Parts: sequence; C-alpha cells; structure tokens
Amino acid sequence: MANQLYQDRAQKIKDTINFENKSVTTCYMGQAAPAAHMGVKMKDFAMNPVINVKTTLDYIKEIDAITSVDCLNMSVNGMRSDHGLPMAWLSKIKMPGRELPDDSLWQVEETGVLNQEDYDIIIEQGYDVVFNRVLPQLLDLNELQESVDYQQQNGQKNAQLFVDANLPAVNSGFASPPFEVLCGGRSMSKFFMDCYKIPDKIEKAIEVMLPGSVQGMLGSVNTNIGNGSWVGGWRGASALVSPKIWNRLVWPGMKALAQALIDNDHIATFHLDQNWDRDIERFLEMPAQKSIINTDGMTDLRKARKILGEHTAIMGDVPAPLLATGTTQEVKDYVNCLIDDIGPKGLFIAPGCDAPANSKFENMVAMFEAANNWK
Amino acid sequence: MVKLGEMLANLEMDELMEAVQKELDQGTDPVEILKDCEAGMVAVGEKFSAGDYFVSDLMMSGEMFKEVGEMLEPHLAGKTGESLGKVVLGTVEGDIHDIGKDLVYIMLKSGGFDVIDVGVDAKPEAFVDALKESGAPVLALSCLLTTCYDSILNTVKAVEAAGLRDQVKIIIGGGPTDESVVTYTGADAVGDDAQSAVRICKEMM
Ligand code: B12
Repeated sequence: MANQLYQDRAQKIKDTINFENKSVTTCYMGQAAPAAHMGVKMKDFAMNPVINVKTTLDYIKEIDAITSVDCLNMSVNGMRSDHGLPMAWLSKIKMPGRELPDDSLWQVEETGVLNQEDYDIIIEQGYDVVFNRVLPQLLDLNELQESVDYQQQNGQKNAQLFVDANLPAVNSGFASPPFEVLCGGRSMSKFFMDCYKIPDKIEKAIEVMLPGSVQGMLGSVNTNIGNGSWVGGWRGASALVSPKIWNRLVWPGMKALAQALIDNDHIATFHLDQNWDRDIERFLEMPAQKSIINTDGMTDLRKARKILGEHTAIMGDVPAPLLATGTTQEVKDYVNCLIDDIGPKGLFIAPGCDAPANSKFENMVAMFEAANNWK
Repeated sequence: MVKLGEMLANLEMDELMEAVQKELDQGTDPVEILKDCEAGMVAVGEKFSAGDYFVSDLMMSGEMFKEVGEMLEPHLAGKTGESLGKVVLGTVEGDIHDIGKDLVYIMLKSGGFDVIDVGVDAKPEAFVDALKESGAPVLALSCLLTTCYDSILNTVKAVEAAGLRDQVKIIIGGGPTDESVVTYTGADAVGDDAQSAVRICKEMM
C-alpha cells in the first residue's frame, strides 16, 4: 500500500490535468542528468540498469529533500537506451564506453536501414517483415533478451522503489508514431523527399503500421506506475514539415494514438520537440482535459494557453541550455515569468524535452523551488 | 522562356524537370536556366524567412536545385560565369547534424558562391587544410549542439594558429548559436538561417 504522500501526489497529477490543481505541479525529467552530479561514470550509468535506477532515484530524492518533486514525467526502469530506443527511430544507438568515450552521452545514429521499396513491403506484407529484417542491424538480439529478462524479473521491484519514495509518474508508456519510425529508418533527408514524391505510399504504410503502434503503446502503459503514455513528436514538428505533410502524414497518426490512450482511460502526453505554434489549435481536437502537451522551450506557451484554454494541460518547458549554462537566478526568472503569464492551473513545470547531461544540480533545484514557491 | 524560377519556388518537381529538359532541347543557354533557378531558390529562402515555408520545403527545393544542376552539368562545362568567391563550410567536431549545413551549401551555391564542403564532425585541422588549399576568405561553421561550442572555439583557434585569422572571416550558425556564442568563440558573425548565410557572405567578400 502506498503511503499518503504518494497518493496525494498521484491525485495532484489528475487534478492538474483537470485544471483543479491548487498549486503548480513540479515534474522531474532528466534521463542523463543524474550521472555527473552523483559521481557516476556515464558508461556505467548508461549500460547498467541497476546503477541507472539507483543513481536516478538518489538524485531525485536529493532534490525532493530540498524542494518537492511532485511527480516524474516518465517512470524510470533502467532500460538501456540502445535496447529501448532503436525501435522508435529504426536507428542505432552508440553507447559510452563502447563506440563513444566513457563519459559521453549515448547518441542516436541514423543509418538509413530502410529503402524506398520497403514502403511496398510494409503495405503488402506488413510492418513486421521489415522490422524483423532490420532489427538485428540495430542491436544485439541476445543482449536485448537479457534486458527484457531483467525487466521481467526486476521491473515491479524497481517500480516499488519509486512508490516508496513517494514519486508517482505521469507516464509509463511510450509511442513513436509511424511517421517518426519511418523517418528515422529512411534518414530524415531521404524521408522528407519521399513525403513530397510518394506521399500516397507513405500514407498507406502508416495506415498499415498504426494498429501495431497502438497495440505496442497500450502494452507499454503500466497503470500501477504512471497512467499515461508519450506520443512522440520529433521530426514531425510544425517547424520542420510543410502543412501538407503535417496534415496528411503527421497529425492523423499522433491523433489516433492519443485517442486510443484516452479511450482506454489513460493520459495522452504529446512529447513535442521544436516549435509547434502553427498547428497548436489542432490539439483542441482531442477530448477536453485528457491530454498534455510537453514542450521543449521552442513552442510559444503563451499563445498555446490562449488557444487551448483549459482544454489541454501544459508540461514544460525550461530550456535545456538554461539548465546547463544558466544561473539559478535566470532559471528562477524563467519559471516565475512562465507561471505569471500562463497561470498555475493545468501546468506541470518540467525541463523542456529532457534535462541534459550537463544540467547543473543547483539549476534543477532552482527550477522546482521557483515553481513550489510561486505565490 | 517559361518561368523555371517560379516552378522551383512552388516546389513543382516534375514540371520543373520537364521544363528544364524542354529548354535544353530548344537550345536555351544553360547559364540562363541556372540563373532562373537561382532566382527561384532566393524566393524559396525568402518564403522560409517569412515563415511561409518550412524546413522540409527548403530541403525539397535544395533537392530540385541539385537535380537541375546535374541535368545542366554536361551543358555548362565551365560556363557558369563569375563566382562570387569561395567559402569553406562544415559541421564542427563532435556534431553530425548535416541538414542545416546542406541547406546552407545549396543556398550559397545557388547564390553564386564556390563552396568547399568538409562534411560533418570535422576536426579543426580539416577546416584549416581546406582554407589553405582553397584560399577561401570565409569559413562557415554549422553547430547544433550546445556541447560543441568548444569545437567552434577550437576551430577558430586553429585558424589563428595557422596564421590565417586576418585573412579569413568566420561565420557560424545552426540551432542554438547566437551572438553570445560569437563572443564566446571569437568568430565574426552568426546567421540564423540559410538565407542569411548568403547575405553575410556577400558582405564579407
Ligand atoms: C534530425 C536531428 C538529428 C538527426 C540528425 C540527422 C542529420 N543528418 O542531420 C540525428 C538523429 C542523427 C540526431 C542526433 C543527435 N541529436 Co539531434 N536533432 C535533430 C532535430 C530533430 C532536427 C535538426 C535539424 O536538422 N533541423 C533543421 C535544420 C534545417 O535546422 P538548423 O540545422 O538549425 O539549420 C538552419 C539554421 O540554423 C541555419 N544554419 C545551419 N548551419 C548554419 C551555418 C551557418 C554558417 C549559417 C550562417 C547558418 C546555418 O540554416 C538552416 C536553415 O535555415 C533536432 C531537434 C529539432 N526539432 O530541431 C535535434 C537536436 C538538434 N538534436 C539534439 C541532440 C541532443 C542530439 C543527440 C546528442 C541525441 C542523442 N543522444 O542521440 C545526437 C547527436 C549526434 C551528434 N554527435 O551530432 C538536440 C540538441 C540539444 C542541444 N542544444 O545541444 C536537439 C535540439 C533535440 C532536442 N531538443 O534535444 N539529431
């Protein structure tokens, strides 16, 4: 049984999405931020799930002891990036201590594993045929199996550590929409050209892939830890693609994924990198008070709040460079100014996108302190 | 001549390729065709700066311009006319983002510059070697990662150490760069989009 503080915080997540929160909600995100501050080598942090979970938990607890961390954006399970992320973008992940120096961050490497003919194969034979062919090019299948086994044996135990520390998560699930998967697999420049030259094929391939994406996503949500899932928006950002492409190939997939979450009583968290200003009103198409936009500092949240009103909660958006290189005063000013302008209701204060590996600890604290102390 | 530039600016790929072929068949001067397409690229750049076009549109126009270039190549044979000057371009060490850099390449090229592209994750020495070999008076550095500011700094230092700093202007650009990065690294100027790269290079030549 979780104790009272955990339950209060879990309730605060729900209240925030319903615009009934009494104060702004502080929300942790920072997949790589803990290592340096905790004196752990990035290599060990990134490659060893036991170290990853413990280091992350200790880091968040250290902040929480100074100022309340109400929740996590995404639950923490220690899954190695090179095992968890290749499916999202059909890309290889270079790891510290393996392809990269011991103290460097893991890196996504687009390798262009998909050819133009693969759209036809997906349409005619299904996505699995292509996926099963390329997966061995992206990771070591035996290692992946070890990771999966580790999760099966330890997932519940690790989750309990966060419950015991009174740290509920908003999200535990993850979805990379078919547009993103194909974009990573083809590489961004080739894929964008395909979007102009053969949009019909891409649209069909996306249609074929979507049911599998929905199923995978719903399977990844663990309601005991966090009742929501990310719906990723990376290369599909409004700033990156023309309205024609966005309307036809980006938004329908994102919307279908989010709708499936909502139909199953989960929260849809649109994780949005880059600038989405042009299309922000489209989020009104989702049912009211069931979703969150999780932005990275580039989307105009003043405009977003004006347009979305109390329809969609906002999670963001302290910019990564500010956390890495700014002063605590600059961080506090940023947070105060944001809450002054868009109000505390329906607002999670969190790092934009992800707190980077070189985030200063005092800036993380300053971010949450400013939010918790906002009058 | 039909409006090739307009087709390019409207991103009408098939129409443009057909029209270029037709012009070539009719014996139109390939230099004229190229000029018209360059004007189209300028229009695309302006639409992008104005927020009417998006990154994918820029990339598509770049692809079209490249394909036209390939069609014209055998007909041009050194007839491209006067170059505005040479520019060495690349993405700095540790950074492999090349989409912005490639757009800068296309815009500079269509703007009449000779561009020497040293690629991505380029070491300071690679830039210095290219500067020495080409005698280019402008060095353009692309950088998308805040963690790579020091690579810009190291490149500027390497240019100094090679004794080239007073002959070479250094401009930077890419996602997170701004005036403060110019100050930090000792570069000369920053441009916020591919169109501005053309403007700044013209000023510096
Ligand atoms: C596509 C992409 C990738 C692709 C790159 C593919 C490729 N071939 O380039 C891949 C998947 C490989 C990748 C990898 C990584 N990426 Co990346 N990536 C992006 C993404 C989505 C788009 C970048 C882009 O192409 N933008 C479009 C171009 C056109 O913009 P631009 O480069 O700024 O160029 C324009 C202007 O700036 C200007 N310009 C550019 N260069 C120059 C030069 C001069 C001289 C001038 C005048 C002008 C100029 O002209 C261009 C056109 O107007 C951005 C996020 C985003 N949505 O922006 C993240 C982003 C840049 N990546 C990021 C990160 C962290 C990474 C990784 C470290 C992630 C990881 N852990 O794997 C790795 C790093 C790999 C490495 N060593 O470089 C961060 C950077 C954060 C930071 N500020 O440091 C971003 C911002 C995402 C985020 N929010 O976290 N990425």
